[in-house]
Amino acid sequence: MKPDIKWLDNPEVFRVNVLPACSDHQFYQSREEMKEGKNSLSLSLNGTWQFLYSKNAKERPEEFYQSDYAERTFEEIKVPCHIEMAGYDKIHYINTLYPWEGHEFRRPAYSLLGKAKWEGMFSEAEYNPVGSYRKKFDLPSEFMGKRVAICFEGVEQAMYLWLNGEFVGYAEDSFTPSWFDLTPYIKDKGNVLAVEVHKRSTAAFLEDQDFFRFFGIFRNVTLYAKPQMHVEDLWAKPVLSEDGTGSLGVDLKISMQEGMTGRAEITLTDKEGKELLTHTMLLPGDVRGKQQCAGAFREISCEMSQRDLGKVTAWDNHNPYLYHLQVVLYDEADRLVEVVPYQIGFRTIEIKDKVIYLNGKRLIINGVNRHEWSAEGGRCIGMEEMQKDMACFLRNNINAVRTCHYPDQIPWYYLCDKNGIYMMSETNLESHGSWQKLGGTEPSWNVPGSIPQWKAAVLDRASNHFETFKNHVSILFWSLGNESHVGDDIEAMNVFFKDKKDGRLVHYEGVCQDRSYEDTVSDVESRMYAPPAQIREYLENNPKKPFILCEYMHDMGNSIGGMGSYIKLLDEFEMYQGGFIWDFIDQAILVTDAVTGRKVMRYGGDFDDRPSDYEFSGNGIVFADRSEKPAMQEVRYYYGLHK
Amino acid sequence: MACTNKALKIVYGDSTLGIHGMCGEKDFHYIFSYAKGFESLVSDGKEWLYRSPVPAFWRALTDNDRGNSFHLKSGMWLAADMFIRCIGARVVADGAEIPMPVAPENNKYSDNETAESMKIVYTYETITVPSVQVQVSYEVDIEGGIMVCAHYFGKEDLPQLPVFGLRFLMPTCADKFVYEGLSGETYPDRMAGGIKGVYEVEGLPVTPYMVPQDCGMHMDTTWAEIYRSSELDNTRKERKQTVLRLEACEKNFAFSCLPYTPCELENAFHHEELPPARRTVLTVYGAVRGVGGIDSWGADVESAYHVDATKDIEFSFRIKP
Repeated sequence: MKPDIKWLDNPEVFRVNVLPACSDHQFYQSREEMKEGKNSLSLSLNGTWQFLYSKNAKERPEEFYQSDYAERTFEEIKVPCHIEMAGYDKIHYINTLYPWEGHEFRRPAYSLLGKAKWEGMFSEAEYNPVGSYRKKFDLPSEFMGKRVAICFEGVEQAMYLWLNGEFVGYAEDSFTPSWFDLTPYIKDKGNVLAVEVHKRSTAAFLEDQDFFRFFGIFRNVTLYAKPQMHVEDLWAKPVLSEDGTGSLGVDLKISMQEGMTGRAEITLTDKEGKELLTHTMLLPGDVRGKQQCAGAFREISCEMSQRDLGKVTAWDNHNPYLYHLQVVLYDEADRLVEVVPYQIGFRTIEIKDKVIYLNGKRLIINGVNRHEWSAEGGRCIGMEEMQKDMACFLRNNINAVRTCHYPDQIPWYYLCDKNGIYMMSETNLESHGSWQKLGGTEPSWNVPGSIPQWKAAVLDRASNHFETFKNHVSILFWSLGNESHVGDDIEAMNVFFKDKKDGRLVHYEGVCQDRSYEDTVSDVESRMYAPPAQIREYLENNPKKPFILCEYMHDMGNSIGGMGSYIKLLDEFEMYQGGFIWDFIDQAILVTDAVTGRKVMRYGGDFDDRPSDYEFSGNGIVFADRSEKPAMQEVRYYYGLHK
Repeated sequence: MACTNKALKIVYGDSTLGIHGMCGEKDFHYIFSYAKGFESLVSDGKEWLYRSPVPAFWRALTDNDRGNSFHLKSGMWLAADMFIRCIGARVVADGAEIPMPVAPENNKYSDNETAESMKIVYTYETITVPSVQVQVSYEVDIEGGIMVCAHYFGKEDLPQLPVFGLRFLMPTCADKFVYEGLSGETYPDRMAGGIKGVYEVEGLPVTPYMVPQDCGMHMDTTWAEIYRSSELDNTRKERKQTVLRLEACEKNFAFSCLPYTPCELENAFHHEELPPARRTVLTVYGAVRGVGGIDSWGADVESAYHVDATKDIEFSFRIKP
């Protein structure tokens, strides 16, 4: 297949040759490696890459993916890193408006009843920068002879991928992993990987989050070698019954060499190592469901139906009890081929009499919205930042997080599981520039809206989101996105999540914009920044759904006054279930001031970026350096009242 | 006459009133200018005033203030805070008002005048429209304690106040301050999480909000002590740390102790644009507007935390040298 630069302009093209989204499990070739936490089946490609910046697609070095391309003009860049933070492109902060506001006139493809002109909108734009990345690598010995896949955990906003001069695939959806199969083109030595990243594509209409607008490879890039038998996807389905007993079902997708046989052994142990379950499935012997052949490998789906486990310890904020699930694949000679560990938990989330219950108890959300942010790296953060944030949550009685407005890095989900933080995990979707104008609502060219040609793109985002994170006990809500108005396409996302029947609730605030979708979008009545009196008004007038605030207490600068009026509602109304403070961390960038030589924090408008929303980027309960704002003691106090 | 603990030595100057005395081993020397206000507060050899204290009506806008256009409604208080006229002074000696002791009236006094208490009452008039009066009185007792009373006379048609207080500008930066009150930075609508105790704050920290804005408020304070070592007096080479103490009277007070005035904070987009810290700005408040938080683009502070300019506001505290 040949790549086409016009894919950038077409909302119906958003993934080409991207492997199906899969669970975020780790896999090892031995128990020893699993215990040591080292993995000879994975190879990080983070580090120094060759790089060239071009202002637009026309000026990019089109042939740069050729193995023998002369890299003379290339410079070096760190991966992961935002291209703007490396100094190649202008740092820009803007809230709701699209980043080309005042520079380009654009209407999304197929909007305005198809009258919008869109051909070449991004592919021929005067300003739509391109980052051309090259990375050379050899395979470690453990990889040789195995299937090799590559995972890009986050690339903004559109990427084309080549290996050794061959086109591999194309991906959008910046905040979920994109997996590609490299097997057909991989060599043991002298591989040349080429990635062409475009700042904007039709994805830009769906990724209009209120944040600094960056592009580039900003999360990990990792190569994986797949053993002869490999768990492609794992869906653990723990069920907690009212009587405190649990059961577990597991769906597996396993790829294995054609003609090979073996077995999958599923075990579940508690924290003390006591085994609650062992189950063996012959492969491909007792295969239920479809089989897919791909060359010398085939993919089989198999299912362990719900099995009773007796009494289990429920997972919640107070006792985030996790059980250890292990899937081990053995070949016909009983040799261990692959081991997949996963920490799972048992909990129920449900709505009874219009009240949300977690494990039979009324759920109270002492939450905060959290952008991934660091003053040095932008949204490119590591474990250290995540651990600090988690420690801060625990210190301050924060029990819930909304991943505004995109799925976070994978380790954050594991940390939430482990520490009992309730997650509202949000799909990578925000299009407020298409309907919020000058403080009012004007959705004449809203996307995705009900435009058929945008539906598949947002469903793909829902699917990437769900498939990656479905096993995390901490996720209580799937959120369809933020401030994207509402229409048939978002309604279809709601259906997608509900069809998964995983028990979780679906959240979407934007249904407030058009009540005709009220019964088909969102399990909860969600508002943002509603004053206490408005909440009371809803709850006193035959409310349809339990009420939460997906955003409240806007902590811009010196704020968080009057929090008590919200907390009081928890005592007054069972159906008021709390909310998520806006937000966790100030988005400011650490630079050296040219005048004083001091290291200082800068915000929107400080980079000659126009138009901008200036200091509106800083609404955290912690400063950009992660130190707590003075208002934190107020949060700690009020969130401690309904722990 | 040497200062003793038995009486205040009074100097009826031609445009100022001097009050001198001893408190234990420490001497104190106060000068009240009839035109400018409380001009000199020397305690334990150190000057504590750089300019006379003035009524405070403004706080540097917070992001929420900007968001709800508070400045567009109440902006006249910024001007009132910056520019104010002292329209008169009265003097009360040992409980009885005396004719203004300026020449030739003060010719009747000697170099050996004493009193057990002296009170000076200043009246200020704001440049708001309509104009409003504030009375600030300082009553010095025999131990040098100063009872400070500030009274704002409310008037119809005036927009809500950001704050009402009394601002002291000290000649140099404080080393630290210690207070008994609530932990952290508190405001009327954000003080439930404050824990009562005695707190020591090193230096004069300015909370690093992205845009410099009002900060460092401490509600519900029983007492506060400001510690300074540096001074401007060119003869004094040794740095000796001394303290000025404020005590609540009937009601606890709010205060902030910062190196900047509201206008200095107001003027900066970033912290690095603030001038080098060189003074202490101590403001004692009788009324403070809440910070709000419902949103930052229009929602008002809850009405219970507004400061109504149409009603009188009075507060008092005691300065202990």
